[in-house]
Amino acid sequence: MSAGQIKIVTIKIRISHLVSSICLLLGLLFMASKTWAVEPYEIVTNSGVSEKNLSKSSLRAIFGMRLHTWPDGNPIHVFVLPDDAPLHIAFSKEKLNIFPYQLRAAWDRLVFSGTGQAPETVASLEEMLAKVGSTPGAIGYLTRSRMNGSVNVLHVK
Amino acid sequence: MFCTSSNPIRRYWMRDAVRLAVVSAILSNCVAYAQKLPIPQNLPNNLQIHGFASQSWLKSTDNNNVFGKSSSDSGSFDFRELGLNASMRPRPNLQLSAQMISRTAGKGSPGNIRLDYGFIDYTFLSEENSKIGIRLGRMKNPLGFYNDTRDVPFTRPSILLPQSIYFDRVRKVAIAADGVHLYGEYRFDHGVLSFQGGPVRPLVRGAEAEVALLGPGIAGHFAPDISYIGRISYELDEGRLRFAFSGTDLNIDYDPVSGDRLGPGSIRFTPLIFSAQYNAERWSFTSEYALRHFEYKNFNVASLNLDFFGESYYFQGAYRITPEWEAVARYDVLYTDSDDRSGKKWAAATGGDAHRRYAKDITVGLRWNVTPEFMLRAEYHRVNGTAWLSTLDNPNSGDLSPHWNLFSILGSYRF
Repeated sequence: MSAGQIKIVTIKIRISHLVSSICLLLGLLFMASKTWAVEPYEIVTNSGVSEKNLSKSSLRAIFGMRLHTWPDGNPIHVFVLPDDAPLHIAFSKEKLNIFPYQLRAAWDRLVFSGTGQAPETVASLEEMLAKVGSTPGAIGYLTRSRMNGSVNVLHVK
Repeated sequence: MFCTSSNPIRRYWMRDAVRLAVVSAILSNCVAYAQKLPIPQNLPNNLQIHGFASQSWLKSTDNNNVFGKSSSDSGSFDFRELGLNASMRPRPNLQLSAQMISRTAGKGSPGNIRLDYGFIDYTFLSEENSKIGIRLGRMKNPLGFYNDTRDVPFTRPSILLPQSIYFDRVRKVAIAADGVHLYGEYRFDHGVLSFQGGPVRPLVRGAEAEVALLGPGIAGHFAPDISYIGRISYELDEGRLRFAFSGTDLNIDYDPVSGDRLGPGSIRFTPLIFSAQYNAERWSFTSEYALRHFEYKNFNVASLNLDFFGESYYFQGAYRITPEWEAVARYDVLYTDSDDRSGKKWAAATGGDAHRRYAKDITVGLRWNVTPEFMLRAEYHRVNGTAWLSTLDNPNSGDLSPHWNLFSILGSYRF
């Protein structure tokens, strides 16, 4: 058993060591994490949404399905690609700093306890553009090459 | 590993594997059919409909039964979970949700369709960094990490939840309650602090809770008394680190019949649960610890004047080999009475078997996400002790073996 494995077993057995081992695990995590090669992409909203900037915590709350209104009070409609879509993986990890399985787990907890709803899943980038472009209050993400005037770019503060 | 521990398993394993494969094939055909159905996504008032269906097969050794006659030669198919829910959000601050569930799991859950939850959720304060709201109706009890969605296989880490904390032998009391919940959350740059809870009426009617808490042969019935439940959680980085502290003050009254040997007693159950989880890309580590205080009063029977603490904990590691394959390992410990961990004092006082008062369960399991909607699972339990085995499925305590094994397979579909 290598030193790393022993460390991992120790964490499993003694949760009190968990906090002190996070640095090591984060190190392993960054070594292990693959970067998917996706085209440049942006977070996009329906062109009727006036917000141009959003804090990261608000963006997480929106895609976590816990923040339901834009600052002007209009409802938010969240669109995502399937969990295994490269762009969804890149967006989750780079813009939200979480893994797609965590998002799915959070949505499942909301849906099956009745305390929230799931985002709408679209099958393709074409459908993402069509839905975000035509739904008032919509938010999603798109590669730059797919964008047109029906959507606005949203920047994360 | 299960083959070496019991011959009947080896003998019937193939036949049951074939039966399960047939069930799975039928289920996946239904899946294929369901996927062709036009499930509209743009419904009025943001109506969403979701559901799940699962079928398990369990095979245990000795005479220890889990969900039906799992120790019989052919094992038990008596574990099925079906659920359907609908939610509407006519306004951003108003949601209505309800879920119906049919759960077949041995004698304790005969599969009747019941309202799992049904409530109105109104957010009366919603700011950029915070919100506060109220829920009215029947809500799932916010206990630990898994209680809120415990009947949905996709949200569980294994086929059976850690039984030390998520008992299946007294589930109705734990699962949901009617009442009022206040909830709120506050978002920081790197984390979210949230709470939910309030006064409720627990669901205590029925033989399951009566037998589990008072033993068999009870003439009278339980009635709910005002109870309180709540959970505070802190999530760092949208769930990379999750901590929760939850608890309940659950009060049950006993209504004796005329000539009852028991008096008009009451039971106060106050469990506290501490939960922690770390989520990395491939690893997740979870641990929960529960301290459960039981107080029995005014039953006018010396053996039922009880005041004791139960203790439970587990450590669990999950590893995502690929997005489709996940392995899990867990060590789960239950002490019915923390002052009598070996059960010897209880055995001396009551003449019962000491192993009914503890259980130490080593579990290893594998999950295969065949598609995002269809999942297969297999798991093996090596258990020392019988504390969490249902009395209804195991009426003769003397038949039970303290060291036993359990193997289980589950197929589950969701939409």
